[in-house]
Amino acid sequence: MKLMTGLLSATVVSLMAVAMPAQAETLRVGMECTYAPFNYRTPEGEMAGYDVDVAKGIAERIGVELDYVCQEWDGMIPALLASKFDLIVASMSITEERKQKIDFSVPYRVSLGRILGSKDAALKLFDADGKPIPDAFNGLRFGVERASTYAKWVEAKLPGAEIALYDGAQPMLLDLQNGRIDIAITNPMKAYLDFLSKENGAGFEFVSPPIDEVEYFGPGVGVGLRKGNDELLAKIDKALEDMIKDGSLEKFSLKYFPFSIQPANWKGVGQ
Amino acid sequence: MSFDLSLIATSLPKILQGLGLTLNLLAVSTLFGLILAVGILLMRLSRRSWLVWPAKAYIYFFRGTPLLVQLFVIYHGLPQFGFIRQSVLWPLLREPYWCSVIALSLNTAAYVSEILRGGVLGVDKGFVEAGKALGLSKFQRTTRITAPLAVRLALPAYSNEIVSMLKSTALASTVTLMEMTGVARTIVADTFAPYEIFIAATIIYLVLVWIIQTGFTLIETYANRHVRKT
Repeated sequence: MKLMTGLLSATVVSLMAVAMPAQAETLRVGMECTYAPFNYRTPEGEMAGYDVDVAKGIAERIGVELDYVCQEWDGMIPALLASKFDLIVASMSITEERKQKIDFSVPYRVSLGRILGSKDAALKLFDADGKPIPDAFNGLRFGVERASTYAKWVEAKLPGAEIALYDGAQPMLLDLQNGRIDIAITNPMKAYLDFLSKENGAGFEFVSPPIDEVEYFGPGVGVGLRKGNDELLAKIDKALEDMIKDGSLEKFSLKYFPFSIQPANWKGVGQ
Repeated sequence: MSFDLSLIATSLPKILQGLGLTLNLLAVSTLFGLILAVGILLMRLSRRSWLVWPAKAYIYFFRGTPLLVQLFVIYHGLPQFGFIRQSVLWPLLREPYWCSVIALSLNTAAYVSEILRGGVLGVDKGFVEAGKALGLSKFQRTTRITAPLAVRLALPAYSNEIVSMLKSTALASTVTLMEMTGVARTIVADTFAPYEIFIAATIIYLVLVWIIQTGFTLIETYANRHVRKT
């Protein structure tokens, strides 16, 4: 019996050894598959979105095949560590806490906030250098999401602001629309998709430049991979830098938003 | 799970910053609620059916729906109508504070009016008849016999309602108010330490409830000072 098992496994190993070089290398990419417009399935069942475009671009440039693995957000890093896939391309922000467990590529998307306000109010809250003018915020009720990176920024830059804390962007935007608050800070991509591009948000606009100070918002969103894959990491970084330079990332962002969401040459709405 | 006792100690003073607003909501809503409750009680006890039915409907509605839903209807629901936002009431309804006070007052009024009705129904007919025999007018009988006795009978249930109200003020944290629970939730969101922070909040609520209970025990003892214990 032992002999049989030994023979069998020897055969399997030799078969694999023969089979492997015949295929192009495959990288398995973990993402939620439900996070439109970044990674999701079209009604036809195709994978699509900004993250998917980026993953495809990387695969093309380093010459590998892609396999998509759909994974719930909470288990994303554990699944990577357990080798259920090789890369995370899932709009994951680069943070110090996550860096303890996994490596990140250079950012392929920015993390930032922007302030929304009524078009009618014609608010001038920032000076020509893009710095907030504290006095201009006097008398304005400022909606902020509880304990968010935006809250940290507001506390640091505008300590005197009259703040209302919300548990999510949805109720905050509702109160902005109803006039309970005058301005609100949130993620401009979410604000655009859920609010400004809809009928409800018609009377509102961004009243700040993009706010993306790395000390508050972090460097952005990167590709995650297991530690110790320095060679692959270098290849991915190179591919991403090429995609920034040749305008591919810019092209991908404009497919989903009327403004760029890639790290180089950020251009906001109405800038 | 790591449990950080010192975090409870450091969060207590921060949560106490919300104490003023918690007590403010409790006091103002209790007062408005009581005034409204007396009005509803008089309607409910009336012999005219066109007064009784609206009171019954009011009590049924506010006891029959969750306070959180009532608060959300007032806070999120009403501004959906343009005319509300144009109305004279908007400066009031715009404020999360007044939305909370309105919801808490309307809700407690329904309960308190029933508590008071229980008191009124509990008053022995004999006392009222004795008053009649002495030639007291209907108004005198109500203010001098029925009302004081009814209040005495209603006190234990009323103290329950105040304790219940104290806990209900925590719902104001869902409409951006920074009363004690609002402060606690914000600290939790910052520290990711729900156990320690909410335990600290629990301690403060328990102390407040103890004060309310003790206060009512004293009031009850005073109100019943003529009643001989057998």
